[in-house]
Amino acid sequence: MIINRHKWSIGRLITFLVLIAGAAIVLVPLLWTVSTSLKSPAEVFQDSFIPKVWHWDNYKNAVTAVPFFLFLKNTLIILVPVMIGTVFSSALCAYGFARFNFKGKRSLFLVLLATMMLPGQVTMIPMFIIFKEAGWVDTFLPLIIPSFFGGGAFNIFLIRQFMRGIPKDLDEAAFMDGASRWSIFTRIMLPLSKPPLIAVAIFTFMGVWNDFQGPLIYLNTNTKYTLALGLSMFKGLYNVEWNMLMAATVLIMLPAIIVFFFLQKYFIEGISLSSAMKG
Amino acid sequence: MRNSRSERAGYLFILPWFLGLLIFTLGPMLFSLVLSFSKWDIITGIGSIEFVGLDNFKAIFHDELFYQSLKVTFIFALVSVPLYQIVSILIALLLNMRTRGMKFFRLIYFMPSIIPAVAVSMMWIMIFNPEYGILNRALAWFGIEGPAWLQDPNYALGALIVMGIWGVGNTIIIYLSGLQGVPEELYEAAQLDGAGAFRRFMSVTVPMISPTIFFNLIMGIIGGFQYFTQAFVMTNGGPLNSTLFYNLYLYNKAFVSFEMGYASALSWILFAIILIFTLIVIRSSSMWVYYNGDDDRD
Repeated sequence: MIINRHKWSIGRLITFLVLIAGAAIVLVPLLWTVSTSLKSPAEVFQDSFIPKVWHWDNYKNAVTAVPFFLFLKNTLIILVPVMIGTVFSSALCAYGFARFNFKGKRSLFLVLLATMMLPGQVTMIPMFIIFKEAGWVDTFLPLIIPSFFGGGAFNIFLIRQFMRGIPKDLDEAAFMDGASRWSIFTRIMLPLSKPPLIAVAIFTFMGVWNDFQGPLIYLNTNTKYTLALGLSMFKGLYNVEWNMLMAATVLIMLPAIIVFFFLQKYFIEGISLSSAMKG
Repeated sequence: MRNSRSERAGYLFILPWFLGLLIFTLGPMLFSLVLSFSKWDIITGIGSIEFVGLDNFKAIFHDELFYQSLKVTFIFALVSVPLYQIVSILIALLLNMRTRGMKFFRLIYFMPSIIPAVAVSMMWIMIFNPEYGILNRALAWFGIEGPAWLQDPNYALGALIVMGIWGVGNTIIIYLSGLQGVPEELYEAAQLDGAGAFRRFMSVTVPMISPTIFFNLIMGIIGGFQYFTQAFVMTNGGPLNSTLFYNLYLYNKAFVSFEMGYASALSWILFAIILIFTLIVIRSSSMWVYYNGDDDRD
């Protein structure tokens, strides 16, 4: 493989063409979505790929036809605390598992790993009932509060693996110098664990931005809808106005794509980290 | 450092998780188990739960829609899980080549998997549209008259499987990182032994990335059995229940007809199915998953 690294061969050319074809398959639906979002209603049904006249007002109409900014606000009201809760609480527990010895640690860690296998459907119904009895249905609380209790087994696991790689001498020396365990955690472990913390933050953003079933179950009043839920509502209301529907679709895709392009390094590292579960 | 103060600190740090385990996992699981043996109309409050023994499970095994949703989910899982793995490995192999511009291709291939499922669904509703959707227009160039995809019970499930291929980006990334861990010397040694490209792939690449395949298979099975958003948004189980995924049926029972006991029983059956499939993969893994440093293979 090394031998012909810089040489162009027929095989190499074919691979390149296959890659380009694949990239086209990935991109064409996206570009078509954007192009439809800029078309006039009549042009949606025509064969043109590039709109004859670019109807930017579709976007203006889309954000007023559905209360887009209200949905955005709702999404952010959920997103911000969930990100704080998830990152902080999973780092806390990861530190506990990474650096302390206590009775039952091994079994508790096994329980933690086992919970990753549990399908959410098993706890979905009782959780709904509990939140309903607590009077929390149709508020954002059921979607926010759980993130403060451990932040998810997978996230704890990811951060713990990383923290175990941090030299022990570092925090032990600080401990000898009289630093409290809390300040070791906040001043040494957290700053050193930036890569997995950023990965967890990004995954959490994606998770909330994407979440559909959670808001669908807990939010009934449409002024409380999140963007994901709001978009599906839009489909029901304006089934035929494809240009507007696609404008709304582009608007909900955009933040995810922007986050991805700026933070792709962490994205890809985080995902690679997650597959490092072997052994 | 293991002394009683350090022990206490350890417990304090994991306390949030432990409380979460009790409040949001173990407690609800127990509750769900009780519910699965009960009949309950949610409107009348927790006091009116009526214990019915195995009635829910008996009813489920006579429920046609249960079998239909099981069939849909199994077909989806059995086709899509292996298919997505094969496609992902092949693309990852291509993306693992060292050529200029590869980083750009990696970005493009990965992008679909970050787009929210609802947005992807909207996009594909339009793509699958029989009259002006881009898919059937493209097929028309080749003289093929495309079906009505989402409106045709014979094609709707297939359409969702096809759509899934578009979003395999994060599986690709995981395979890519697996491929990058394969030592170059192994390929060179195999090449010296006269192994062709296919042989090198089968006897070097596949065993070396088998832990990654194992990981992705398990994640794929768990994800496949919980498929929901796309089916809910795009077809809502139709036409003629041809895309009535198990999770969608469970949702309908719980939150549309409010049969909480019945739905809880359904959720335990789902759990059992996922567990069985996961265990099969884990058990079989000793036969085909190789870890670095294990020299006692053969």
